[in-house]
Amino acid sequence: VSIDPVELQVLTGALRAICEEMGAVLIRSAHSANIKERRDASTALFDPRGEMVMQAEHIPVHLGAMPAAVAAVLDEQHAPDRSWILNDPYRGGTHLPDITVITPVFAPRKPGWRSRLGANTARFADGELIAFAANRAHHADVGGPTPGSTPADSRTLADEGVVISPRVLDEEAIAELSSQMRQPDQRRADLRAQLAAGRVGVRRLVELHDRVGADTLEAAFAEVLDYAERRTRACLSELDDGVRRARDLLEAREGDLQIVLEATVTDDRLTLDFTGSAEQHDGNLNCPLAVTRSACYFAVRVLTDPEIPPSAGAYRPIEVIAPEGCLLNARSPAAVVGGNVETSSRIADVVLRAFGRAVGQGTMNNVVIGSEEVVYYETVGGGQGACPDADGPSGIHVAMSNTLNTPIEALELEFPLRMIEYSLRRGTGGGGAHRGGDGVVRELEALAPLRYSLLTERRRHAPPGADGGEPGAPGRNLLDGEELPPKVSGELAPGQRLRVETPGGGGFGTSRQRESPNRESPPGDSRQRIARQRDSPSSGR
Amino acid sequence: MLLGVDVGGTFTDAVLAFGDRVVTAKAPSTPLDQSEGVIAAVHAALERAGRAAREVRAFALGMTVATNALLEGRGARTALIATEGFTDVVALGRQNRAHLYRLCAGRPAPLVPDELRYAAPERMTPDGPLRAPGEDELRALAARVAHADGGGIESIAVVLLHSYRHPEHERAIGDAVARALPDVHISLSHEVVGTFREYERAATTEVDAALSPLLAGYLRRLVDRAGSAGVPKPSIMQSNGGLIDLESAAGHAAWTVLSGPAAGAAGAAFVARAAGAPDALCFDMGGTSCDVCVVDDGSVQERSAGEIADRPLALPMLAVHTVGAGGGSIAWCDAGGALRVGPRSAGADPGPACYGRGGEEPTVTDANLLLGYLGTDAPLAGGVELDRLAAERAVHALAREVGLEPTACAEGIIRVANAEMIRALRVVTVERGIDPRRYALLAFGGAGPLHATAIAEELGIATIVCPRASGVLAALGLVVSPRRRDVQRSVLLSGGSLGAETIAAITAELGDRARQALGDGGAELSAVYELRYRGQAFELAVKAGLEPQPDALRAAFESLHEERYGYSDAEQTLELVTIRVSAITPGVEVSLAGSDEETEVSRSTRTAVIGGSETGVAVLRGSPGAGTEIEGPAIVELPESTLLVTPGWSGSVDATGTILLERVR
Repeated sequence: VSIDPVELQVLTGALRAICEEMGAVLIRSAHSANIKERRDASTALFDPRGEMVMQAEHIPVHLGAMPAAVAAVLDEQHAPDRSWILNDPYRGGTHLPDITVITPVFAPRKPGWRSRLGANTARFADGELIAFAANRAHHADVGGPTPGSTPADSRTLADEGVVISPRVLDEEAIAELSSQMRQPDQRRADLRAQLAAGRVGVRRLVELHDRVGADTLEAAFAEVLDYAERRTRACLSELDDGVRRARDLLEAREGDLQIVLEATVTDDRLTLDFTGSAEQHDGNLNCPLAVTRSACYFAVRVLTDPEIPPSAGAYRPIEVIAPEGCLLNARSPAAVVGGNVETSSRIADVVLRAFGRAVGQGTMNNVVIGSEEVVYYETVGGGQGACPDADGPSGIHVAMSNTLNTPIEALELEFPLRMIEYSLRRGTGGGGAHRGGDGVVRELEALAPLRYSLLTERRRHAPPGADGGEPGAPGRNLLDGEELPPKVSGELAPGQRLRVETPGGGGFGTSRQRESPNRESPPGDSRQRIARQRDSPSSGR
Repeated sequence: MLLGVDVGGTFTDAVLAFGDRVVTAKAPSTPLDQSEGVIAAVHAALERAGRAAREVRAFALGMTVATNALLEGRGARTALIATEGFTDVVALGRQNRAHLYRLCAGRPAPLVPDELRYAAPERMTPDGPLRAPGEDELRALAARVAHADGGGIESIAVVLLHSYRHPEHERAIGDAVARALPDVHISLSHEVVGTFREYERAATTEVDAALSPLLAGYLRRLVDRAGSAGVPKPSIMQSNGGLIDLESAAGHAAWTVLSGPAAGAAGAAFVARAAGAPDALCFDMGGTSCDVCVVDDGSVQERSAGEIADRPLALPMLAVHTVGAGGGSIAWCDAGGALRVGPRSAGADPGPACYGRGGEEPTVTDANLLLGYLGTDAPLAGGVELDRLAAERAVHALAREVGLEPTACAEGIIRVANAEMIRALRVVTVERGIDPRRYALLAFGGAGPLHATAIAEELGIATIVCPRASGVLAALGLVVSPRRRDVQRSVLLSGGSLGAETIAAITAELGDRARQALGDGGAELSAVYELRYRGQAFELAVKAGLEPQPDALRAAFESLHEERYGYSDAEQTLELVTIRVSAITPGVEVSLAGSDEETEVSRSTRTAVIGGSETGVAVLRGSPGAGTEIEGPAIVELPESTLLVTPGWSGSVDATGTILLERVR
């Protein structure tokens, strides 16, 4: 069966629609604020060999990181309605709060049925494995000593929560796992939402299979993968051949850790080699290779064509090299929670910088405040790096995250917290022909005794600009006005105020080249503001 | 005699209903002052009907003044007063970026610039005031706003934290500012919106403040013109599908931002009811876009909030979903070799290649022409004559590029365009737990009926409804729409505080306010309860009486949750987030049987490509009368749209002139 250009487009759309529908079910039926409000979830379809055919990624940190999860269960004994669960970063996961659920898709045997698969693949009396539906969601808590399972100071995986090796997800497993975590009702509901999303994926894919036939579906999977590969190659071949280098720093407790990149474009291929980067460390900034890959894929997507379907085919022309045992390809049981949320941003920064881009705030500014009863987790936006043709927007998530904030009114209803200020941090974007975006100020007051944990970056080193553009201002963390280190945890007494000031983005080009104020620039951060700042009616009160 | 007028991008349509007759007329829209086109259309309709203006008893208007102003970024010079520390509430939004990978893609500018944002010296908490504003502080604030911008402020939005539940400070500030600036429009967030989540409430209140002075000016001109013409003041269509009096509309522009699409959806629902298909998926395909909505039991599905021009609108509205696929959508081949359609559109100018106005890229309309579904001898609505050679040139060039025969390429363009529209229909159905097979497909708009059978087959739909009055459906919807006022409030009740008496007391108060606002003490009241499991961030809307028992709400919520998401959880705490009460004075149903649109039908045959092969197809041109039988393959060239009946479909024209098709195999 061959797939013509029309069929290709129609089936690409159909597969994407299935992923989107799985995502809609997951996001809307989950209970964790992380999943619902912040859309920290993604869904994907895989072919029976474990190649990712299509993904609906709602935030980039999951981009291309799920194939490792399906690979981890590929050789298991599969049967209809038998879903698998895992979160072990060294066996298919990323960091522990990201729980992945994988559901095999079986098509019933029909008269005239013949196997589509090689001899090594499992077959079953009641149907044939035609695909896997997978989804990943960030749970608000997965146990461990720290509420929110995002400790600032973890040193091994065990410090970060319950490690789930690949296992069958049934009611018994749901009960057992949720009982080891905080807010077990919510965990149970989130896991059920993940199962429901998987069931929707199975139902829709079987419908598509019945409509177009097994041969066409199999050919479509292959063609969609090839199609994404062709489009990526077309983009890469437009880049000049050659070697580009960049380096940047992470702010570990014990000192700075270096990330080094050599990026090589040869025809329509790209190699990203991180050899020479720091060794894995005794904190939690380590990454499993899957996280390093997804950060690279994010940057490549920014540099090429974002409309290329996010399938494994798109990543075939990209080779990511990170020696085992280094920070970007850590060995078990190194702690990884900061790797997923912070190191991933820096990896993306380094790739973008190698290609001459200014970078954004480069951190998610992870804030966890809670007690044994409640856990409030959120990430705070900041300044985007300027683009070669536009100012960077202000007060947004810049890289691997793109999650919604928690409305102040919702937060104050749910948690013993009061927001004191939530505003743009004016003048913090780097100057240039195009300016970096401004950071954000978010200040909270505790109304009860609480523990806090901050996992932040770009406090010591500013986000760089490019092509003569100035860096953005580094961020600051303050407790009652006293500056705190980038990674810190501690107690909050009622009345104490925790203030997070997030970094601005780097500028692009020299300020001399700046023309009239950029009319395209998102408002709320127009540059005239800096001159106006002192007499702005809304500041200083 | 009832009058409905809908202002569209190109034409302004008028419908007059009297006795059992319906008379329609059109006039070109007048973008500079829409009221001119409105009155021209009214005169044209009166003339066709041979009736006098003074006989018009009620006049309902659907408009795009507020929508267009928002899309073009026009608005009054507006100031924002927000709780101290939170004046950037709209600029910050929800901190997500507009596009995951286009890092500098921006969101639309807040309607209030930085220098016009003012901090209010107050703070509310969920449990009441933490800090009340002093009299002196209020006066000082009002004076600063009055002097802002050289005294040029035209409108003010007031948005304070937790005002959805404690509006006292908003009222105090509103009063203080009104004393200092008696002629300036003021929008208070608890009045305009009334629900919690500060960003969405603030952004909606800004829209209300920035557009209301503009809308008021337009409506004043319209009232003057209507008065001179001898017709009554119009009621205005709101985004929620109900009409309100002109003064209320002028005071709250946010309520009518989606007036035009709501009128279209209301008209579609009316036709669906009249055709005996009260459950219908409605699909309105024009030149540049396609609007879809769901009609359930004769009413258009609503949603409690939506978006317009990338701005949130936290107000109830008819759920109309728009995709950028229309007749003018351009087909192209991407770098990976897939055939794509849209999102670029040839629009009206130059338009599709076959319009012969210089367009060289192939569009959906060009493909329809090459396949024989559109005739070169039948000018489209607006008098455009079609140039087949130009369409051939455009499609052949693309066919070479993708390596398909020209005919297969044209069929491919249609298939890909249909797939886009099917995705849109899936968004409004399957993802909301609705099974499309239970519904009829109501196809309208210039291009909708051309694609109806293919889309119905893909969705498993067995009935197609194609109204004769495709072009004036929105004006018709205005004639029959109810008058309605919504009052909503976030209450966030759960556990012990979620009691029957508490709910009843709130609905009684909201009901009184809604009736009073509507000016009809005897108006029907209905209530919607937005519920969630405590901790969820989305609510599901449940309709119930005004004095519901919490258990009944729970049961209704759980069955909806089960239907939508596949599970419910008896162990979770139920939370009643928002109560919305609507006061409704029902509209009148008019009969379409006396429509004057019936015309002589001419019959011919034409060769068209169906399923890859050339087939002789019967062509009916005109508005076929009641009882006319139609069997596929056939093409019906209605005055304002073309219906393609593929093999396997047949049906007839009903008493109202609507064509009903059934799938026969």
